[in-house]
Amino acid sequence: MDLTQPPGENYANPRTCFFHVLFKAAALAFYILSALFIDNFVIIFVVTVLLAALDFWVVKNVSGRILVGLRWWNEINDLGESVWKFESLEQESLARLNKKDSWLFWWTLYLTAVAWVVLGIFSLIRFQADYCLIIGVCLTLSVANIIGFTKCRKDAKKQIQKFASQTIANRVSSTIQSAFSVV
Amino acid sequence: MSHSDTIPLHASSQSDIDEIENLINASVQSGPATVLPARPPSPPRIPVSSSPFIPSNLPPLPSTHQKPSFVPSVPSAPPPPPVNSHSSIGASGFGSPPNTLTEPVWDTVKRDLSRIVSNLKLVVFPNPYREDPGKALRDWDLWGPFFFIVFLGLTLSWSASVKKSEVFAVAFALLAAGAVILTLNVLLLGGHIIFFQSLSLLGYCLFPLDIGAVICMLKDNVIIKVAVVCVTLAWSSWAAYPFMSSAVNPRRKALALYPVFLMYVSVGFLIIAID
Repeated sequence: MDLTQPPGENYANPRTCFFHVLFKAAALAFYILSALFIDNFVIIFVVTVLLAALDFWVVKNVSGRILVGLRWWNEINDLGESVWKFESLEQESLARLNKKDSWLFWWTLYLTAVAWVVLGIFSLIRFQADYCLIIGVCLTLSVANIIGFTKCRKDAKKQIQKFASQTIANRVSSTIQSAFSVV
Repeated sequence: MSHSDTIPLHASSQSDIDEIENLINASVQSGPATVLPARPPSPPRIPVSSSPFIPSNLPPLPSTHQKPSFVPSVPSAPPPPPVNSHSSIGASGFGSPPNTLTEPVWDTVKRDLSRIVSNLKLVVFPNPYREDPGKALRDWDLWGPFFFIVFLGLTLSWSASVKKSEVFAVAFALLAAGAVILTLNVLLLGGHIIFFQSLSLLGYCLFPLDIGAVICMLKDNVIIKVAVVCVTLAWSSWAAYPFMSSAVNPRRKALALYPVFLMYVSVGFLIIAID
């Protein structure tokens, strides 16, 4: 995938990428390994869910912004209705984002959710209801981020298209105006 | 910054921006000052503020590669020297940037923490906004509830002498599922609440019960436990009351409130019964 890229290009934000992956991997690893070493369910639950929550926060607030320039949140407007807000960088900045960064971002997001589903299936097979609880929480957090960012990306594309068509319309009208002023 | 911006800022960001701007003015600007053409303000998807939020308190990266500078509506200069060392997350210096997309990480943390505290104060403690519940929890968040539920589970689990894991799992599942079901209950009764806002509220109202659980953990006397639980139970119900009751039709108020009360009573029993 990197063959067409200039040799110098690498991850533009290595530290962010690292943290983005760190908490996800830590939650999964802890969950998987702890079953072997730790007997206390409470500790497993609390640590795993804490790592998953930290990961959620990091992805939503930090790596989403830095790696792909997207952000989403929910607000309640004055009428008391819930409004989902999406924010993204404008076109030129988006285009300049590092491809590797965004590739890493999206892929790890999807892969984590898949991993949790697989682990959930294992728990279900073994009829371990309390472990399913952990899986449920972690899965909810992952899926929430996936949905949020996917919607945000779609919204960003829409905005770009709107902006582009607006710019073209402006250019056309100003061209016409200048044409008329010359005549 | 080489110039000051005159765009009105959101109140909560003002002091942060001032502080950061002062630091920038005091520092030497390094790197190219990228001046990019102002772009037309985009449609209202930047709700908080549209001004250049001077960025990062992170150490500026040596520019071995082109760092994209995020364009604001007003051109501004590149990153200032580090203010504190908290933001180890979030790499390189960001260029110029407005709105919440490019604010320093530490600011996000601070913002979230202060939101938790203010939500807690609004919900649990007496304050002038209680009569207007919609406004009270306008800025809902689920972090507070999450911490309170986990804390309650941990406290109950600690107090239990046997079956600690089951106690924790039951407490957590009961509270989480309970909050969801109570919210659905209100929605099905034709009430007007927002799902997450209600979850947030029910979670924050657990705070008194958290306190009760801690006290019960420390004191083993049954009478004290009962007294403490009754007090905190009443406090929790009082906290949840205005929000729930205003969300539904007056004739159905009891139907909406009764399950909430029931849930808190069951948690209260759990606290008393644990030994």
